[in-house]
Amino acid sequence: MRDPVAIVAAGVVTPIGQDLDAFWSSLLTGGAGITRIERFPVADLGVGLGGEIKKLPPAPRRAPECRASRLLLAAASELRSGGGALLARDPARLAVVVGTALGGVAEGERALAGAAGLRTLAGALYDSPARNLARGLGARGPVLTVSTACASGATALGVGAELVREGVADVVVAGGYDVLCRFVMKGFDVLRALTRDAIRPFDRRRSGTLLGEGAGLVLLAREQDAAAGPRLGRLLGHASGSDGSHIAAPDPNGRGLEYSVRAALAEAGVAPTAIDFVSAHGTATPLNDRVETNVLKRVLGRRAHEIPVNSIKGYMGHTMGAAAALEAIMCLLAARHGVIPPTFGLEDPDPECDLDYVPRTPRAARPRIMLSTSAGFGGCNASLVLEGV
Amino acid sequence: MKVAGVGVITGWGRGVEALPADAAATAGGRYVVAIPRPAPPGDRLRRATRECLLGIGAVEELLQTVARPASELAGPGTALLYVTASAYGAANRAFLGARGGTLHFPYTAPSAVPAEVAIEYGLCGAYVNFIGGAAATVDALWYAGSLLERGACTQALVLAVETFAECADLYRRARWLAAGPLVEAAACALLRPGGRRAEYDPDPVGVDAARRRTGQTFACEPLIALAVAGGDPAAVAGRWRGRRAGLRRL
Repeated sequence: MRDPVAIVAAGVVTPIGQDLDAFWSSLLTGGAGITRIERFPVADLGVGLGGEIKKLPPAPRRAPECRASRLLLAAASELRSGGGALLARDPARLAVVVGTALGGVAEGERALAGAAGLRTLAGALYDSPARNLARGLGARGPVLTVSTACASGATALGVGAELVREGVADVVVAGGYDVLCRFVMKGFDVLRALTRDAIRPFDRRRSGTLLGEGAGLVLLAREQDAAAGPRLGRLLGHASGSDGSHIAAPDPNGRGLEYSVRAALAEAGVAPTAIDFVSAHGTATPLNDRVETNVLKRVLGRRAHEIPVNSIKGYMGHTMGAAAALEAIMCLLAARHGVIPPTFGLEDPDPECDLDYVPRTPRAARPRIMLSTSAGFGGCNASLVLEGV
Repeated sequence: MKVAGVGVITGWGRGVEALPADAAATAGGRYVVAIPRPAPPGDRLRRATRECLLGIGAVEELLQTVARPASELAGPGTALLYVTASAYGAANRAFLGARGGTLHFPYTAPSAVPAEVAIEYGLCGAYVNFIGGAAATVDALWYAGSLLERGACTQALVLAVETFAECADLYRRARWLAAGPLVEAAACALLRPGGRRAEYDPDPVGVDAARRRTGQTFACEPLIALAVAGGDPAAVAGRWRGRRAGLRRL
């Protein structure tokens, strides 16, 4: 069992809300984040829908043009309300760990199309947005970028917590981001992984996912350092696991996902019977939702059918590197407010996905110990065990 | 943690024995010293990108170095920590260049290289990909040490791959990012529990230790430095885009 790490504050920028209150409100009221993409041409693609943020929050002075960096900086600005004192402490002991599936590839797209210069191309390096975030925060501690595809946000929180536990940093800004761009839309289009319908996690009619963009960040600190101030909760455990199975599809047996869930629970010192709520990856692809259901049944045992499980991808699309961070934040807000947001888009449950997926309406509940699962291309899996307050 | 061995392939050849005394002089004006695409046996890797094949090549080189069979890597006990600053560039560029139909999209992700390595060797344990140059490799070594120390794995592979040939024109225009010669490389270290605890050093001395011999190998540099030092240096350090990181008492 590892020492818990305090989650002091959080910040989000999403298609359904550009701060925690708006994000939470939309999760409960079913705010629609899926729209026709307007920022780049999609007419030649099979699917032109996504969770696009139509208007970014005002940029700080001298902010980079890079959209990914703008999202991160906007999410970080909200951290100051709960964690301003910690952020201001010692820049040399402030670290940044962000996860991304795409890095700054949108910048590469612009530069190679001749719309921007060579400096912009440097922004296409996957670690550029994290550097811009660190610069914006004045952080002079380690600045890490991790990329475990769509599990990146969870990996970032886990690595960030380890930096705190091991004393490499006192305070860590950790989370994930990704932006919509033609590159990724075209890629998923080629794979025929996008639905022409709505995202319907765990539904009999589910036919694929839609992509979204966003950023979610949390402020991590040692328990004793966070004791005096407000906090959202605690990160109890994290583990990542590889499928070693297929370059694009999840392992049909969910081997890596199961490994990551069990290892995260072990790190947290939490028994499966103690889990009150699960935030599932829930992409609404036929295979993912079935594999995930089976993994949860194996790990949670008899209680699997009693534990509420949701997926929030139906609200805003799959935000890739941001998804796991946003889902972790959703868990903490659910604990704080005593309500579990429903699985938006789930109307006709798939008999093969027979857990309690919180359909249609919010559920009054006060979960304390929560599990969040994530998976991505290349057999990347990551799980987080969180405690709400 | 202890370094059981390091497998190295570079544009100069296989192993540290192939490294010249002075990379710049030996490059003879070449800006990129490339590694030809390996030709793996069988059909499974027919769609894999060159960087994926180099990753597998580095693990093969490691297995030869430590004289152990591949079967000893399989299972959940082996953690895989992958690092790169640039190896996704070729696939990203190919896909952006409207040749997406010919390249399987998942290969554009940095996670493609460790994915193919995990599939090839049956790895299904802890798994993190770090993006950046030599400083990120130090982060990966530190994280591997943490996993080993808390028993989250029984051994760890830290794998780095860097390719430049497909984006050579862009690097040539961006010499402020990295002076040449850029030397393609893949390196893999096998770490086991034991030895002295590695302490993270945010401001190390002795960065760029291997660069004179290797040329610019970005994330591979600290692993090559470990190999040159026989796997038992007092410290390892790296620098990338102005950021430094090191481990002491390795």
